[in-house]
Amino acid sequence: MMEFEAVIGLEIHVELNCATKMFCDCSNRPGDKPNMNICPTCLWFPGALPRLSREALEKAALLCLGLGAELQPRSAFDQKVYYYPDLPKGYQLSQAHLPLARGGAIDISDENGRPRKLRIHHIHMEEDVAKLVHEMEGRLPISLVDFNRAGAPLVEIVTEPDFRTPSEAMEFLKALRTQVRYVGSSECSMENGTMRVDANISVRPKGTGQMNTKVEVKNMNSIRHVGDAVAYEINRQSADVQAGKVVTLHTRLWDPDKKVTLAMRGKFEGPCIPDPVVPVIELAPEWIERMRTRLPEMPAARAERFVSQHGLSGEEAVFLSADPEVAGYFEALIGQGVSPRTAMHWLVTQLIPAVKDRGQELSGSAVPPARFAALLNMLARDEINAHAAREVLGQLFDSDKAPEAIVSALGFRQVSDPDALDALIDKVLAEQPAAVADVRAGQGKALGFLIGQVMQASGGKANPKVLRDLLAKKVSAAS
Amino acid sequence: MDSIFFYRPPEAAVPADGPLKGMNIAIQPNVSAAGWPTDAGSNALARFVALEDATVVERLRQAGASICGSTRMSEFGFGLDGSRAGEAIKRNAAHAELVLDLMGESRLAASAGDVCGFKPSYGLVSRFGLIGLIPSMECYGILSDSLKNIREILKAIAGPDERDFSLPDETTPDFSPQNIDTGKTTVGIIKEAPGSLPARQESLYRAAIETLGDAGLTVKELSLPDFPLFLPVHKIVGAVEASSCTGRYDSVRYGVRVPGAKNWNEMYLSSRGAAFGPLLKSYLFQGTFFQFERYDAYEDACRIRARLVAGMRRLAAQADFWAIPVERGGPDAPASLADTYAQFALTAYANVAGLPALYLPPAQGRPHPGVQLSGPRLSDARLLALGEHLLNARRGGNA
Repeated sequence: MMEFEAVIGLEIHVELNCATKMFCDCSNRPGDKPNMNICPTCLWFPGALPRLSREALEKAALLCLGLGAELQPRSAFDQKVYYYPDLPKGYQLSQAHLPLARGGAIDISDENGRPRKLRIHHIHMEEDVAKLVHEMEGRLPISLVDFNRAGAPLVEIVTEPDFRTPSEAMEFLKALRTQVRYVGSSECSMENGTMRVDANISVRPKGTGQMNTKVEVKNMNSIRHVGDAVAYEINRQSADVQAGKVVTLHTRLWDPDKKVTLAMRGKFEGPCIPDPVVPVIELAPEWIERMRTRLPEMPAARAERFVSQHGLSGEEAVFLSADPEVAGYFEALIGQGVSPRTAMHWLVTQLIPAVKDRGQELSGSAVPPARFAALLNMLARDEINAHAAREVLGQLFDSDKAPEAIVSALGFRQVSDPDALDALIDKVLAEQPAAVADVRAGQGKALGFLIGQVMQASGGKANPKVLRDLLAKKVSAAS
Repeated sequence: MDSIFFYRPPEAAVPADGPLKGMNIAIQPNVSAAGWPTDAGSNALARFVALEDATVVERLRQAGASICGSTRMSEFGFGLDGSRAGEAIKRNAAHAELVLDLMGESRLAASAGDVCGFKPSYGLVSRFGLIGLIPSMECYGILSDSLKNIREILKAIAGPDERDFSLPDETTPDFSPQNIDTGKTTVGIIKEAPGSLPARQESLYRAAIETLGDAGLTVKELSLPDFPLFLPVHKIVGAVEASSCTGRYDSVRYGVRVPGAKNWNEMYLSSRGAAFGPLLKSYLFQGTFFQFERYDAYEDACRIRARLVAGMRRLAAQADFWAIPVERGGPDAPASLADTYAQFALTAYANVAGLPALYLPPAQGRPHPGVQLSGPRLSDARLLALGEHLLNARRGGNA
């Protein structure tokens, strides 16, 4: 049996999080009540003219720089001509001939942990189309058009066909999402449609360099679906070729329930003619440099710094730096004097799950870094124990009191004073002569039992470390 | 009068104080004036009412002019079939008219109406609110008996507009009156321009050229062997742009939808089929053909266009202005695309190259058809000054 390998390229649409649409001043909020964000320009009324949004250009440029692509000194819009009710003027404004940026790459690790550089062919800007809703009016099928999304600013990232496996496609998308979130140009959520991925897939006998007819797969709404769809398509095409069938150029839709791809339509390639209205975009080198200074430290560099500066493991550093909000929060905690290890541990195991449980976002949550750091610093100073810290964290979400005040109010302050603990210890030792005897006979388990008894007597507030030392000393001294 | 005007407002707004005070200007129904029917001469926009004012309308009114109505026009301003441009001036119903110039319509209308007609440089006047057809070539032409009116109107409407980003970032010419030093002014005659003019027309053109020499200008022969390519380039590039530009008339959001379609493909076919007249349809078919079937020819045409622009720039180094013949006559209502194009063989150059062009009618009693003068981009003010100089010289009895 012949062994096949896949040749995969991705086309990724990213909806920019600009305040307005790309060519008019309408709000860029596609999810609003239908047809609330429309004007003569995005409905392409007679006499309307497009005006390219500066913010869209800047956010697109930042995205390109963040992916290491080279901004072109000259780019321009073309008209992609086709007729469909979701396209209000018979053509889509897109950069077909002179894209905004070329080149760039994303570094990932493949399944075997080997580094892979996956190249970007180019990145261009384009406008989104309207949304069609198909309904029945009695027995009459009708189509409704919501133009809120028409003219929303998009960039399309077109990769080289460098990918060989579903996993590479998924790793690439995760890294891409992280990098775009870093530069702040988009949330890149496949679930919410702000990142949409089409995969072009062909297969060839392993080891040959041939480029065979590709099939385009659409309609995946998570990164996992992209992996599943690509894997399915590789198997399907390999089986077809094995059976002597010819692969034809067409588009397929991923069906997430049946986990199969289904043929959709022959791929229609409309002509792209230069748009005579939107001016050519000429980027001066100084402008490009100014954009470059607006780039934040990118995730790979930040992860490296987390390792060298804060002593995190590589895996921890990559995890923390993947989300700019998480990474920023982590650094804010450190800035407030929390140790990197405590900050990492408490952020990942306690705060993030707590925020998620409450349906909040880290950035706007009721527990900003200063409050969380105050709590963690009390823990570090042994003023409270871990159990109390978890309790107080829960309270921080519902109260705007300072963590110190909550600790005091709940009486969580840890008892570390030996004199206060002495009395409790003496009482427990007097009540548990059998256990004391066991400890003296060398049974370590019994010491734990005694510690537990004193802790209970303290209402959970005894500092466990101080308690253990005192208790051990007392038991042996009395022998 | 009703046969000239497509729409006249029930009562004209009280004009603002300004340099154009007292001037009545007619527009065409492809210029947006809020509340006015603006069908651009097409069924595609039957009963369409403009939502806001075009920049030109706003500026003309601010300068004191009164917009007195819109005149009947050809479909989307392409050619002159059905157009009554120039007649409102003739009948004293307007001091000036704005007429869309896609390939020379305003200049030919001026010639037919025996008035002056001026097409400004491309990019000098905002197209916001213009229901256009060929974005890279179209331009408002201004018709009037008086070049001073034309100059004042252009001064009022020219210049940057934040609603039209396609205007190049450049200095607007100074439209104050200026003198022409005839001894130092050269007018070039492009050898290849008369091309296939019939012998009689060519001799009339020579007669018109003589009037330039009589006015003291230096007349010099120039050569641009590519001149005959202006029209074919216009045919391809213009038609492709027009085909895209009219894509928005799909009956989805506005315009007239023909009922009864079973699906939206049928809806497109029936509604767009009913939207456009036969001449425009052939024009749009031509554009669609080049878009979908002969994109290579379209690319060639774009390259040749750049060469033609460069060629005209080279001529500008050899002469201050140039004179181009005007042909009078031709079929009144051209039935075919070919007949329509034939009318514009000597005017399309200015639209392809974005140049200003001025039509001057002949002095009374002269048999020649007048003359078309053109110059480098943004030489509009000087070109108008040259025109005013020539008309003054006539009054002095020279021409």
